[in-house]
Amino acid sequence: MKRKQVRSAALVLAMAAALTGCGSAEDAPSDVVSIRVWGAEEDQTLLAELIDGFEAEHPDVNFDIQLGVESESTAKDTILTDVEAAADVFAFASDQIYDLVNADALANLADYEAAYERYLNEPLADIKAANSESSVEAATVNDCFYAFPMAGDNSYFLFYDSNVISEEQAQSWDGILEAAQAAGNKAGMVFSSGWYNASFFYGAGFTTDLNEDGTTAIDWNGTSPEGYTGVQVVQSMLDIAGHPAFMSIADGDTSNQIASGNVCAIVSGSWDAGAAQEAFGDGYAATKLPTYTLDGEQIQMNSAFGYKFIGVNNYSENIGWSVLLAEYLTNESSQITRFEERQIGPTNLKAVATDEVQANYAIAAVIAQSEFGTIQKVGGKYWDPAQTFGELIAQGTLDRNDEAGIQSTLDSFVEGVTAPIE
Amino acid sequence: MKKIKENRTSTIVLHNILIGVLAFIWLVPIIWLLCTSFSTYDGMNTSTFFPEQWSISHYVRLFQPDSVAQFPRWFLNTFVIACANCVISTLFILMVAYATSVMRFPMRKPLMNMAVILNLFPGMLAMIAVYFTLKTFNLTNNYLGLILVYSASSGLGYLIAKGFFDTVPRALCESARIDGCSEARIFFQMILPLSRPIVVYTVISSFLVPWMDFVYAKMILNAGISSQYTVAVGLYRMLDKSLINTYFTQFCAGGVLVSIPISALFVIMQKFYVEGVTGGAVKG
Amino acid sequence: MEDQRKVSFAEALTKGDLFVKLSLLWMGAGYARRKQYVKAAIMTVLELAVILFTVNFAMQYIPKFGTLGTVSPVRSFNVDTMKNEFNDYDNSFQILLFSLFSFVVWAAFVAVWVKNIMDVYRLQLMEEAGEHINSFKEDLVSFKEEKFHITLLTLPVLGVVVFTVIPILLLILVAFTNYDQNHMPPSGLFNWVGFNNFISLFGGGGLTVSFGYAFVRVLGWTLVWSFFATITTYVGGILLSLLLNSKKTRLPKLWRTLFIATIAVPQFVSLLLVRNFFSNGGIVNTICANIGLTGFLQKIGLVSTSYIPFLSAPGWAHVMIILINIWIGVPYQMLIATGVLMNLPTEQVESAKVDGAKPFQIFRKITMPYMLFVTGSALVTDFVKNINNFNVIYLLTENVYTTTNQVMANSQAKEVDLLVTWLFRLTQDYYNYKMASVIGIVVFVICAVFTLIAFNRMIRGDKEGTYQ
Repeated sequence: MKRKQVRSAALVLAMAAALTGCGSAEDAPSDVVSIRVWGAEEDQTLLAELIDGFEAEHPDVNFDIQLGVESESTAKDTILTDVEAAADVFAFASDQIYDLVNADALANLADYEAAYERYLNEPLADIKAANSESSVEAATVNDCFYAFPMAGDNSYFLFYDSNVISEEQAQSWDGILEAAQAAGNKAGMVFSSGWYNASFFYGAGFTTDLNEDGTTAIDWNGTSPEGYTGVQVVQSMLDIAGHPAFMSIADGDTSNQIASGNVCAIVSGSWDAGAAQEAFGDGYAATKLPTYTLDGEQIQMNSAFGYKFIGVNNYSENIGWSVLLAEYLTNESSQITRFEERQIGPTNLKAVATDEVQANYAIAAVIAQSEFGTIQKVGGKYWDPAQTFGELIAQGTLDRNDEAGIQSTLDSFVEGVTAPIE
Repeated sequence: MKKIKENRTSTIVLHNILIGVLAFIWLVPIIWLLCTSFSTYDGMNTSTFFPEQWSISHYVRLFQPDSVAQFPRWFLNTFVIACANCVISTLFILMVAYATSVMRFPMRKPLMNMAVILNLFPGMLAMIAVYFTLKTFNLTNNYLGLILVYSASSGLGYLIAKGFFDTVPRALCESARIDGCSEARIFFQMILPLSRPIVVYTVISSFLVPWMDFVYAKMILNAGISSQYTVAVGLYRMLDKSLINTYFTQFCAGGVLVSIPISALFVIMQKFYVEGVTGGAVKG
Repeated sequence: MEDQRKVSFAEALTKGDLFVKLSLLWMGAGYARRKQYVKAAIMTVLELAVILFTVNFAMQYIPKFGTLGTVSPVRSFNVDTMKNEFNDYDNSFQILLFSLFSFVVWAAFVAVWVKNIMDVYRLQLMEEAGEHINSFKEDLVSFKEEKFHITLLTLPVLGVVVFTVIPILLLILVAFTNYDQNHMPPSGLFNWVGFNNFISLFGGGGLTVSFGYAFVRVLGWTLVWSFFATITTYVGGILLSLLLNSKKTRLPKLWRTLFIATIAVPQFVSLLLVRNFFSNGGIVNTICANIGLTGFLQKIGLVSTSYIPFLSAPGWAHVMIILINIWIGVPYQMLIATGVLMNLPTEQVESAKVDGAKPFQIFRKITMPYMLFVTGSALVTDFVKNINNFNVIYLLTENVYTTTNQVMANSQAKEVDLLVTWLFRLTQDYYNYKMASVIGIVVFVICAVFTLIAFNRMIRGDKEGTYQ
């Protein structure tokens, strides 16, 4: 006769739990400022040091700062799944800023002017001015400044073995491939990634841009201001991809390929500097991206130039202190420490100017490359179609002489990229 | 007789060679795992099958925690979760199996039908809902939450155990009832002791769940604090793009270390599994 | 003991006395009248709890269920506390989840309430007939006697309701909203859109054409995969078990343990390993290039790249995935088959041998039919499980396989995706929860149909009846 009663009792328990569960969020003593920080795996020791420094600067505040691991390249995915559960302060790669802003996950740093005034004695404008202009521009979306630039070397350039390829040959794809073929070795690049393959198009004057609604504007299936057509660029890429000395590398496989000794030149970034140094030995050299032959002329490739930022969660509980911590982790002395310990190129102008930074090979290459860099403004719908587009070229599925076919490939690529966000 | 035997010597050899070849094919990746884990090289070795230099340095490193790899901690976490899950899941499964197999009540068949359909509903689809439910109760980044995820719905996997209980002769239960035994006593004192194979099978298989799962664990332990991870999440994260070149060999070493206890349990379990299944499904 | 009288709710309402009717409002009334005070107290507490729940919890969310919230967050910074102060903003997902939760609680309560009326009416009848009315203690005892199944099933059912049923219902509700990257709580609000998402999937206009196309392609591969994955491992398992259990085998236990070892390695280790094993720059490719196999395949036109695209080109990847699945699945099936074949009626096999039947004939005429008879329905459930085989596909292809089909890429799908992996990517990388829910429902319907067929066969065979 009481069939349902046991179950009901359980329900009551569940409900009681629900009620108390909702009310008990504020139990923690309010004078402890707890902040969670996410940084890259390799940065953990460094960050722990810097956090200690931050705590020492504010001895009267009772901090409880936890450090967690989240790769800069995937931070967005984890954060957007549940913004409220994400860390208060996190490092991320600059290409994710648009999706993060779109989801309202990043604090607008201008809102916390009062905190800078009170604890740093300098306005946000001065903090921004201390960093390179283009890094601040990359951290600015719709005229709002959303993240503190932390590192300036999130881009790619050319590593090569100067025993195989001369400095002059390294200036153009034609030279590189010729030298590599002569040596029975290969030159590699990731084609199947929208981050890498855009460099051909940016070089020829094509652009991408972000619309207000988060969709992407792209003109690659048309004609660039310089008068090149998208089809011509694809044909040039096909020429490179079809060269016997060229090796198309899967995204994320670059370090592995360098280490295996299969390549004597590769387009990659400073994260591979160690691997390249080891593989190329005394021939290790790095320089800006090469030129490629487009319609009979040499065109400089123009990389998708990126930065690494530290942003603050818009839903952070202790947002004021989080903003200050983010600022601290990216200030001049922190950037210098970061360079000293991790060989990561700074964005802070004074830090860039130090002799040690100027003497670093890979960072010098990035700085050379920054002249030919474009801040890649694209929305979330760009990446998958761009990856497929690059893979089509890398696998040689497209026929160089079939201009109509190439055009229609470009058209459906553009169609996918410009699709409205669902 | 003798003639036949002589004839067969060659076929026996062939037969065993065939098995040997198959076993070899099946074991190649496992051998590779073992070999690679003893390599001195950090990243993935793509040029040779066997490492050029052998060492146990990566095993040693597994036990010297750094910010990424905290293997002993992960192992302990997983062990605790596995034990808790094991108790709850086993209870749930046996309870449901007994109720549906031995007892008769009005909603039995509809409940069984529902259970089978729900059980095949892929957990993946309901992940976000489960996540937010747990978050409401403050159970994310919490082992209790993870244990609940693994065990709460485990009653749905009652079918194999039920199949076994079905083979326990009903006459036994009936006579016990006539003697005035309560259902609870029949369950605890008659059916359970008779069902050792299926109990062992259920215990081991629910113990193994947390060692294998990375999807749910990754979702619920999302604070990014490495020391909270389970073995599966921790190892999985070692293959992150930015880490694979420094941690691949450690991943292999970790994989080997996890596999040893699991293999042992598996070998024990398979015996009971065969008994349980033959006891259950077949006799019908 | 238990009263078996059948009463209906209508009857209880019309023929019940004052206290039965009073139980409509005060659930303990009927029990109190029959002197079952503990029960009365329990029911009263339950009723109060539900009322409290309704007032304090449910009413925060249910009124907003129609709109799923209208207030967006607005924050202002307070430099003295160093914290943001928020307005009282709505979170669409929370409203949806908690409303659903409230509905479930209410539904359970209504069921208890109806049952309660019938129970107290039954008590009334028993009292009128002068029968014994259980004391509370006797009631408690019944939970380890004839009502033992309630004791057994309560917790498992509760677990299933909270962790499986509510999520499924929630999923179904989300399919009718526009919950996607542009409408993500807490910052964004989403609302109801009716059947729009279903129309998109099954061929609405515009870009969604590609969604419909990708859906058909993915569904096709899902079914093909499930079919081959099931059949190959099933047959492979039987053959391997026959091979191992043959009298000719020396050291059968050792061999069996070796095969078991391969499945004892957790899948995320073994599959990730195998994927690196066969990657474009992986060890197998190095070996193939060294022995000239790559060159040979290039010559006959099977390979256009400088490596063999084991897991990175359509066709190749499809075949490889099924082969790798054989590697993982056969030892499992071997275990099951071993168990089943132990009970193979040996007389039949012996008499067939005497009649001069060849091993293959015995396999086809006796072994297979017997296996199919015993494990036929399990075969169908395996098929359904393969439809949802997330691990194999995800671990082998994620970040490895790049589609070269632009239409599929525009829908974030790949040729090797199953419906579940596609759905996983839509939620994890694109936060497209609405389409993922629609796909989820489709998967669920497909699975439910197959399962019902399978299970009804099992029930109809009614093996349980043989012993009872």
